Amino acid sequence: MKVFIDPPNSLILFDLVERFGHEPLGTMAPIQERIDKTEVDMPPMNVSLDDVVKGLKYAGVEVPSGIRGRLALWGPLIEAADAALIMEDPPFNFGCVGCERSNEMAKYLIRRRGIPALTVRYPDDKEEAVMTVGRIKEFLEGLK
Amino acid sequence: MSEERETRIFMISPDSMITPDQLVREVHAMGKEVTAKETCYGTLVEGPRPLVGEVLAIIRERYPYDIYSKVRAYPTGDRRRCRAEHGTRPGYAQLEAEWEMLPLIQHGIRCSENGERPAVPKEKEKLPLEEFKKICEAC
Repeated sequence: MKVFIDPPNSLILFDLVERFGHEPLGTMAPIQERIDKTEVDMPPMNVSLDDVVKGLKYAGVEVPSGIRGRLALWGPLIEAADAALIMEDPPFNFGCVGCERSNEMAKYLIRRRGIPALTVRYPDDKEEAVMTVGRIKEFLEGLK
Repeated sequence: MSEERETRIFMISPDSMITPDQLVREVHAMGKEVTAKETCYGTLVEGPRPLVGEVLAIIRERYPYDIYSKVRAYPTGDRRRCRAEHGTRPGYAQLEAEWEMLPLIQHGIRCSENGERPAVPKEKEKLPLEEFKKICEAC
């Protein structure tokens, strides 16, 4: 099954979803598509102006272009996902997960689709890690 | 995702005894037609998707708890991202923060494979009205 991960560039979530036998949907795939096909050459941006327009499908015109650009990448993934895995309180909100409004919009889109979703926290100690990984494993093994 | 090229990050957990050099040598020794580039955190492996998948399967079998992996969008040594070319590295801070957390995840995976059941997280309860009144009066 296709599982959308949030934060969408998370190494930990990508690895765990693959490890437990599902296909992770992260932000890397749509970025690679753009790099391989349309040659994005405006670092540090990963999207083109067309993407910002495409983002209008997920957010209104009054929403800042940064959010619309992010949603142009994440929105189609959420639409294609069969389930979602959300880790809250990322240790470092920077780069593509650095916009809290985009993160909230992504969570809203997940809730609106009504797909099975698990929300866990980034662990701070070993006890929490056992709980987090255990819950993720149970959730992913339960998806059929 | 492109079937032609897949670039994968292989990140070594900070409490592992494996070195990036050792990992790169192992990838080369597999004899697959993939490119391996040593990095500070592990290695980047690039090649046709099925071959990179084979490398992933072997590494995961040999080091199930030490090495973690995800796909990378940009190719290895891409001028827009390569540090040697002064490329920007958005997302690297996230990677670094997660790298520090890998020993915890490693512990979690070991415990879950040993059949340890995850504890149910406590749900926050509402404060009873009487107790809230007492707090207000005390202030």
